[in-house]
Amino acid sequence: MNPHSQFKNYSVDHFFDEMFIDKEGKNPRLHYERIFKRLDSLTESEISERRQQADTSFLEHGITFTVYGEEGGTERIFPFDPIPRVIPESEWSVVERGLRQRIIALNLFLNDIYHDGKIIKDGVIPEEIIRSSKNFRPEMAGFEPPQEVYAHICGTDLIRDDQGNYLVLEDNARCPSGASYLLENREIIKRAFPQTFGGMSVRPVEAYPDLLLRTLEHLSPRKSQKPVCVLLTPGVYNSAYFEHTFLARQMGIEIVEGKDLVSIDSFVYMRTTRGLVQVDVIYRRLDDDFLDPLVFRKDSMLGVPGLMDAYLRGNVALANAVGTGVADDKVTYAYVPDMIKYYLDEDAILPNVPTYLCWRDTDRSHVLENLQNLVVKAANESGGYGMLIGNQSTAKEREEFAQLIKSNPREYIAQPIISLSRHPTFCEEGIQGRHVDLRPFILYGEDVEIVPGGLTRVALKKGSLVVNSSQGGGSKDTWVLKDF
Amino acid sequence: MLSRVADNLYWMSRYIERAEGMSRMIQVHQSLALEYAGNDQQLEEFWQPVLKSICTDQVHLEAEGFRKIGKTLIFSDTYSNSIRSCISMARENARMVRDQLSEELWLELNNIYLLFRDGGAEKLYEQGSDHLLDRIARFSLVFQGLSDATIPHGEGWRFLSLGKYLERTDQTSRMLDTLNLRSKAPSRADLMSVLRCCIALSAFRLQFRGNLSLQNVANFLLFSEDFPRSIRFCLRAIDHSLHTISGFPSGAFSNEAERLTGSALAMVNFTSWEQVVEKGLHQTLDELQVTLIEIGQRVFETYVLLPSEIKSLGEIDSVQLAQAQQQQ
Repeated sequence: MNPHSQFKNYSVDHFFDEMFIDKEGKNPRLHYERIFKRLDSLTESEISERRQQADTSFLEHGITFTVYGEEGGTERIFPFDPIPRVIPESEWSVVERGLRQRIIALNLFLNDIYHDGKIIKDGVIPEEIIRSSKNFRPEMAGFEPPQEVYAHICGTDLIRDDQGNYLVLEDNARCPSGASYLLENREIIKRAFPQTFGGMSVRPVEAYPDLLLRTLEHLSPRKSQKPVCVLLTPGVYNSAYFEHTFLARQMGIEIVEGKDLVSIDSFVYMRTTRGLVQVDVIYRRLDDDFLDPLVFRKDSMLGVPGLMDAYLRGNVALANAVGTGVADDKVTYAYVPDMIKYYLDEDAILPNVPTYLCWRDTDRSHVLENLQNLVVKAANESGGYGMLIGNQSTAKEREEFAQLIKSNPREYIAQPIISLSRHPTFCEEGIQGRHVDLRPFILYGEDVEIVPGGLTRVALKKGSLVVNSSQGGGSKDTWVLKDF
Repeated sequence: MLSRVADNLYWMSRYIERAEGMSRMIQVHQSLALEYAGNDQQLEEFWQPVLKSICTDQVHLEAEGFRKIGKTLIFSDTYSNSIRSCISMARENARMVRDQLSEELWLELNNIYLLFRDGGAEKLYEQGSDHLLDRIARFSLVFQGLSDATIPHGEGWRFLSLGKYLERTDQTSRMLDTLNLRSKAPSRADLMSVLRCCIALSAFRLQFRGNLSLQNVANFLLFSEDFPRSIRFCLRAIDHSLHTISGFPSGAFSNEAERLTGSALAMVNFTSWEQVVEKGLHQTLDELQVTLIEIGQRVFETYVLLPSEIKSLGEIDSVQLAQAQQQQ
């Protein structure tokens, strides 16, 4: 090790470290050797210069997200950490198989519960759970979505425990975001570390927009040469607006707001300077609730009146389908391994995190007695909101959550506090270990496609386990290495 | 092209042109003020007609005092035509149509926006207001160059053009009108300033030598055949953009915007200076400005609203309605 190395004070502590194999943080794993050597040779100012470059580039290119809660929402960059996360192909191929298995099972489940409900009749999942899910949409009963697929785009969050085992933390089967950062991070890292990147066989990710477009086109009700696909955004003030424009641009499709679309006689059109143009497929980045004020929230100004009618008649396709939220309800989540067994007769390749369901009396009393050692989550929240981390909470917070659980047990689950794996990350104090997760993006069109790796999110705050961008998280480029 | 996208491009372009016009107007008048004004009374008398011509909410601006009027016009958060507001609005519109812009265009606009957001603009201003005002005017010119050089000259580009020239016609007419609003006959310095606001000094000299008179300046800014900021030139550009968008031959019309533009263009093409004097220069410019507002509204009705919505204007979304009204 170079005596001025940024790693000289690095400590693995009692966590699983992605880069180092030993507790002292001296010996990198085989697939990290090259990147370690490169980083080891850089001075602090060289690294910070690269990070500065990346930040400036994000800001100038407008690669930002909006944080709510402050006056009018503030545009921020999603902090980028220049030390890439590396996954060997041998490991990734297992993860990939696990994700494929999972998305197929989730879609079979959605198809089942909106039709015969066999899984309920066979007593695998209580009907109660499904009916009471906030995102169960009775309107979808009996509807045949194109290709019988509901969740075409899914972001499944993976974590690694203190042994390095990959576990599924949650599925995002409604409007998962982050794919644009995955693509932009790769562009930035290529510029920041050209030699290191060039010398290694990193599997490319740039096919994502093409794969996404193919997935969308596959759904078109009109079998024309060039179906009209659009991306429906809630608008410029949405936190993920940059991502919406980015993906639309990469795919070469129009980005539309609700007011750009009209529904006439059960068809959907967009308003152009040349008159109305029929739309075939809508990649919607809008929750079910806001899609159509005639069916869902009446006060929604973001949707298109009459859209559901056109959709249910099969005149326009939506990705994802309406009603997929029941599959990423955190209570349903607990049953995914059972679903995999039930529909595919296979064991789950990627295990879940053990989950206590507060609506079960025994689970609930266990949770209430052990709040200090558990993570409690609201079943239908995202973005790191509605969460209690037992060992980092105050007595008052625990008391509040106990009350919430007692008054609405269906809406809460609890899990043991997992020591997420850590990854060397460039911090104010030099390079230190920070907790990471991994969000791969799974596309389900004609076939299941997963770009290698995904978005690695990192909790930049020391000791924090929350990686969400709204809670001070950042991201890393993720390299899947072919030859390892 | 999506109607909203056309609308966003049009407004982005207008706001950038407006920011440029404002920056030059402030620069020229700040320097002219030095000749006019010793005490506060004189300073007020000097700025009043200028503010009146750009139609601003005078009461609001005056609250900050005339000593600081330049700074207010640049930085005010509440005045909707301040340079800061124009840049923000241009960038807001650009964010909604990033797929239509080249990366180079976006970077140029976003950088000037960040300059205002992160305090760089104030720093430049403290070093001397010209540093900042030059930077803004140059930004607009670079932006125009980039939009000509880096994006397809299709429908979207025509809407950019439309926004730019409508705004420019409006500005030239307003700058010229300041000469009518002063209590005394315009001095040589006044005439020079108006030409400077329109970057017309050199072009004017080429045509009229040093023969500076109200008649010559007004003639030049109204009728010049080939000066790109004359009212005639701009109207011709608007006419051309509109007809390229609709595909309808020039000389006739397929919508109200085309008809109004055609007749305004005919007016400048076939009016003599004597007729302008007879009607009054102020009256002529005033009527022109009313027509420009109407052209903007008709463009909006033709390309953004559905036919069914034009009749029920009261019911359409308030944001759209607000955008239709944004014409100073």
